[in-house]
Amino acid sequence: MPFLEIVHLDKHYGANHVVRDFNLAIDKGEFVSFLGPSGCGKTTTLRMVAGFEFPDTGSIRIDGKDVVDLKPNQRNIGMVFQAYALFPNMTVAQNVAFGLRIAGMARADSDRRVAEMLTMIGLPDLGARYPFQLSGGQQQRVALARALAPRPKVLLLDEPLSALDAKIRISLRDEIRAIQKELGITTIYVTHDQEEALSMSDRIVVMNQGVAEQVGDPFTIYTRPATRFVATFVGTLNGLDARVLDAAAGTVEIEGQTVTLGRPLTAAGGGSVGLSVRPEALALGPGLASLSGRVEDVSFHGPVVRLKISVGGQRLALDTFNTSAFRPPAVGETVTIGFDPADALVA
Amino acid sequence: MALTAGSGGRTARSWAWVGIVPFLAFALLFLILPTMQIVVGAFRNPEGAFTLQNIANLFTPAILGSFWISIRISFASAFLGCVIGFGVAWAVTLGELPRWLRGPVMTFSGVASNFAGVPLAFAFLATLGRVGLVTVLLRDWFGINLFALGFNLLSFWGLTLTYLFFQIPLMILIITPALDGLKREWREAAEILGASPFQYWRMVALPILWPTLLGTLALLFANAFGAVATAYALTGSSLTIVPILLFAQIRGDVLGDPHLGYALAFGMIVVTGVGNALYIWMRTRAERWVK
Amino acid sequence: MRLQHFWAWLSLAIGMVYFFLPLIATFEFSLRMRRGVYSFDAYRVVLADPNFQATFGYSVAMALLTIVMGVVLVVPTAYWVRLKLPRWRPVIEFITLLPLVIPAIVIVFGYIRLYNTSSMLPLTGTATGTNFLLLVGYTVLALPYMYRAVDTGLRAIDIATLTEAAQSLGAGWTTILVRVILPNVLVAVLSGAFLTFAIVIGEFTMAALLNRPAFGPYLQVLGANRAYEPAALAVIAFGITWACMGLIQLVTRLQKHTSARR
Repeated sequence: MPFLEIVHLDKHYGANHVVRDFNLAIDKGEFVSFLGPSGCGKTTTLRMVAGFEFPDTGSIRIDGKDVVDLKPNQRNIGMVFQAYALFPNMTVAQNVAFGLRIAGMARADSDRRVAEMLTMIGLPDLGARYPFQLSGGQQQRVALARALAPRPKVLLLDEPLSALDAKIRISLRDEIRAIQKELGITTIYVTHDQEEALSMSDRIVVMNQGVAEQVGDPFTIYTRPATRFVATFVGTLNGLDARVLDAAAGTVEIEGQTVTLGRPLTAAGGGSVGLSVRPEALALGPGLASLSGRVEDVSFHGPVVRLKISVGGQRLALDTFNTSAFRPPAVGETVTIGFDPADALVA
Repeated sequence: MALTAGSGGRTARSWAWVGIVPFLAFALLFLILPTMQIVVGAFRNPEGAFTLQNIANLFTPAILGSFWISIRISFASAFLGCVIGFGVAWAVTLGELPRWLRGPVMTFSGVASNFAGVPLAFAFLATLGRVGLVTVLLRDWFGINLFALGFNLLSFWGLTLTYLFFQIPLMILIITPALDGLKREWREAAEILGASPFQYWRMVALPILWPTLLGTLALLFANAFGAVATAYALTGSSLTIVPILLFAQIRGDVLGDPHLGYALAFGMIVVTGVGNALYIWMRTRAERWVK
Repeated sequence: MRLQHFWAWLSLAIGMVYFFLPLIATFEFSLRMRRGVYSFDAYRVVLADPNFQATFGYSVAMALLTIVMGVVLVVPTAYWVRLKLPRWRPVIEFITLLPLVIPAIVIVFGYIRLYNTSSMLPLTGTATGTNFLLLVGYTVLALPYMYRAVDTGLRAIDIATLTEAAQSLGAGWTTILVRVILPNVLVAVLSGAFLTFAIVIGEFTMAALLNRPAFGPYLQVLGANRAYEPAALAVIAFGITWACMGLIQLVTRLQKHTSARR
């Protein structure tokens, strides 16, 4: 029995269809990310779960109960905002205690709970500080503590790390995930950063223009993208234009070179198809399928070396690990590129 | 902190202050010295020696009464201006009235806050004076005789009502940015943590706005206290608020003691000065929290 | 949010009634000059009155001179302080806020005492001297608004880089101010100018106590003696103030379209 169920959620803003028939079942304790570009409807969906927006149709069930008709302050949900939203007139401790005060908890109990939360986020001594005295990362941790203090059923995070520096983002990412796992709280995390989504989530929902294009665990989303959008949005993708030689046998021709994909193609013989393959799925040297090309550029990205190789008039990016044994080819050298046909998406 | 372009050579830097000499001279000659003249004069007797007698002479029933009326009118118009101005500003920002209303309201507030003095007095005379539009309408349509009920435009409440015409817009102009500064996320965060709208206002919004509200009250108070023209045009010299008293004193030494005029003016500066200082103090406090 | 909507509209309605009623009443009153029928007689009488023309002309001239003096005083100062003397900024800003604290009546009282015929600068002795004093007084009154407008305008442009560029091309300080800085803050200056105009036109206290034939005292005398003309004048005065504010809005919106966003 899923803990959080979103069923046939639909919303229009005037003529704009921002969320189209969204369906999702989340288990208790699961960490699900909504990933997509700006305007894809991920934040709107999150806000409908929180109660700040009203769906045109559909229902949202938390622990079996439909909450669509409940106000946000009745849903027992915790939320962390992109802009932290800490109350500036209250200290850190008072901020964290806010939900507990509203619920009428006795002072001694709420003090204890606040101390507990502050220790959990690693800021036990900052209770008396005001938000303007804290750094961005500290404020966001306090916001997390504030959201979790009243023991909500569901935790919602709306791009919580977008406003922070890269380094803090990475460390906070791990912290948030660790806390979430420790508490076992059902979580929805909205982000446009694929690294965040891939590294933190149990499952990812990739959204585009109000539609959930694919739902799956990070590995599947990345290696087996279901649609062209998912393939291009998540990770980098090489795009090659090919001409079908034999649709049944799956043979195509790319810039005069023959490649056998080993599976039947829907396009007719003589027609054109697009081939998509990830840079790291390509390797130097012959493989199950091979292409020959000329090295145009070699660039170092720390642990990875990226080669730009031209195959006839088309360009490919090839990523390979920068190990001590690796000898990068020179610009202008002719190389063989090998890959597994199963890694190539056909569109 | 960006480096300024003023570091062109050691000699160039030491002469830079010359650039603001005209302004400082102007301020000195036409703002600071005249004010000092008054302040110092308040503590001098006709022979030129230091004395507190002028200040002491302020404590006559007539003059104290004048200050008291001024304070009451200023406070009444400031308080009502704050409340009503807050209501209108709230309606236009957070009250979710149509967006297009805000621009005209702000422009009108800008106009009305400068519409003081003689024309304003005329406007209210034409409205609530003896043959004013509202007076006549109330009599003809509803049978209510305002003046028989004791209302008189040339009185405490009449002047207060008139002052509101520029106090309310001033409040709107100052409080609107503060209301804009109330981030939507605060309300949402409070709501998701279980707070009702009333609890949000009581525990978050009003505490945040408090310094600005108090400060603006002080500013409005000082503003009303120093206003001359409207009162003069409306009441002549009949309602002896402090500025009117000072006006008459400057014109014709009605108090029979020129140095008393100084003391009066000094008293005015003290009141308006305290009001403004309070406003600035409160504003810096408010800005500290909400960066 | 039904209840909230009700309160919002109610607040606005109360505000509108309070503000529009006097204006409507004034306008209605001003039309009542000819017995029994609405007419613009009051306006005709007023506009034909030589006293009106004289005092209005005087005040308009004063307003324009005040604007010039204000610009000449404020623009170079604000520029110089921003560029070379940032530490003086709080002091200068404090000075520009003083006219808001010290009531106009106190300032003009100070002028009368300080610059009367028995002092070093006997300005009140002659008509020209008194005119000058009034001009200066008006400049002081307008100072807070003018300075804030110009300072805001300067903040939006990078004066340090503009100055260096101009200097490297051989410009002297006057050229820089007049041909580089001023054009770029023209919109801000205009805002301050319109506000100054509105303030000066209706000003009463200083003009009355210095006995100058300005529009403010004329209005007051007329109000004491006549019934319908003052109402017409009030409408005209309100119209002028509205026009000034409208022009400020227009000019500010023009700037938003022409200045590049960073």
